[in-house]
Amino acid sequence: MEMLHLTAGRVAGLLSRRGVAVFSTSGVKMASHGGVTEQTDMSVPLYCDRLDTPLPDRPYKDTLSAADKSLKQKEKGPWNSLSKEEKLALYRIMFNETYAEMKKPTGEWKTVLGGIFFFIGFTGLVVLWQRYYVYPPHPRTLDDEWQAMQVKRMLDMRVNPVEGFSAKWDYEKGQWK
Amino acid sequence: MAHPTQLGFQDAASPVMEELLHFHDHALMIVLLISTLVLYIITAMVSTKLTNKYILDSQEIEIVWTILPAVILVLIALPSLRILYLMDEINDPHLTIKAMGHQWYWSYEYTDYENLGFDSYMVPTQDLAPGQFRLLETDHRMVVPMESPVRVLVSAEDVLHSWAVPSLGVKMDAVPGRLNQAAFIASRPGVFYGQCSEICGANHSFMPIVVEAVPLEHFENWSSLMLEDA
Repeated sequence: MEMLHLTAGRVAGLLSRRGVAVFSTSGVKMASHGGVTEQTDMSVPLYCDRLDTPLPDRPYKDTLSAADKSLKQKEKGPWNSLSKEEKLALYRIMFNETYAEMKKPTGEWKTVLGGIFFFIGFTGLVVLWQRYYVYPPHPRTLDDEWQAMQVKRMLDMRVNPVEGFSAKWDYEKGQWK
Repeated sequence: MAHPTQLGFQDAASPVMEELLHFHDHALMIVLLISTLVLYIITAMVSTKLTNKYILDSQEIEIVWTILPAVILVLIALPSLRILYLMDEINDPHLTIKAMGHQWYWSYEYTDYENLGFDSYMVPTQDLAPGQFRLLETDHRMVVPMESPVRVLVSAEDVLHSWAVPSLGVKMDAVPGRLNQAAFIASRPGVFYGQCSEICGANHSFMPIVVEAVPLEHFENWSSLMLEDA
């Protein structure tokens, strides 16, 4: 249920186990649930740090130390008598993170954007290599001279004369409008 | 024909294609409006500062966003069906041409008055005259008189093909053993290009269609010349 921030470090960590398995002689158990896994009991109230849940089902600290217990007793009296540190301590008993801490930027976007640009760049290299080594020569109809003759022929034939190609040519002046 | 990098439709050369152009504008505008609305809603939901986002019941908006899409669909369906029925109207063609698809060329038969028939092969790239259009030109064009209703009976001699000319708003599958009728009126003179639109083998991309619409006298001269050559 925690947010898994996908950073480059974590990706490397996730892949390292697989890498070790390839090189090690003793087989590393590849199933991710090799033993009994920890399971969350969803039938009891749970604590969560969520922006859209201001009041979780239970307080953060379940088991209170003696100091915490006496503080909770003092909370039952007038709140003016609580010092600022005591108020903060009471908050931390109830909640793990503050809203400001929950909303803190993670920098995950830098990894994502960096990865995107990297792969786009790599693709660009592949495309360049392809254009040089793989593609056959252009047909002669793509030469500038041929294209010019083609444009003239299209204008003479009145190709798309209503709103399209020939509509943009001024036939009286002999130039594009 | 389309010019390089063209994205939209070619100019209409028949009344039906004009109708289709306008309908497409209408439908695309609706699509654009809906997409803008959805994009705005998505950005608003992603960037909201509100914490309470999970209201579970609201009858009014549910009614609105059921009725409104139904209304929009009706507004799209009515013009669409109008054009569909327009295309299917009983017409009285002045000329009937049979367009037969082969692997990999078209053959045209004008058999109303005389027996005129010819094949129409693509001009290979190395044989093009300067300025001609690669993969679009044919050795013989299907010449029709302009401003006259023309009926094309499309069929095939071997495998499936499809006879398509975008600027005339015509596309009709060529099915072996079946006659499909397509009708059009060329509202202006000109040369209109199309390409086979049903996969039919190795040279499916290399069997184009060229329709040339000319005044009636020119058409009569052309057909006399073609009959002499045959």
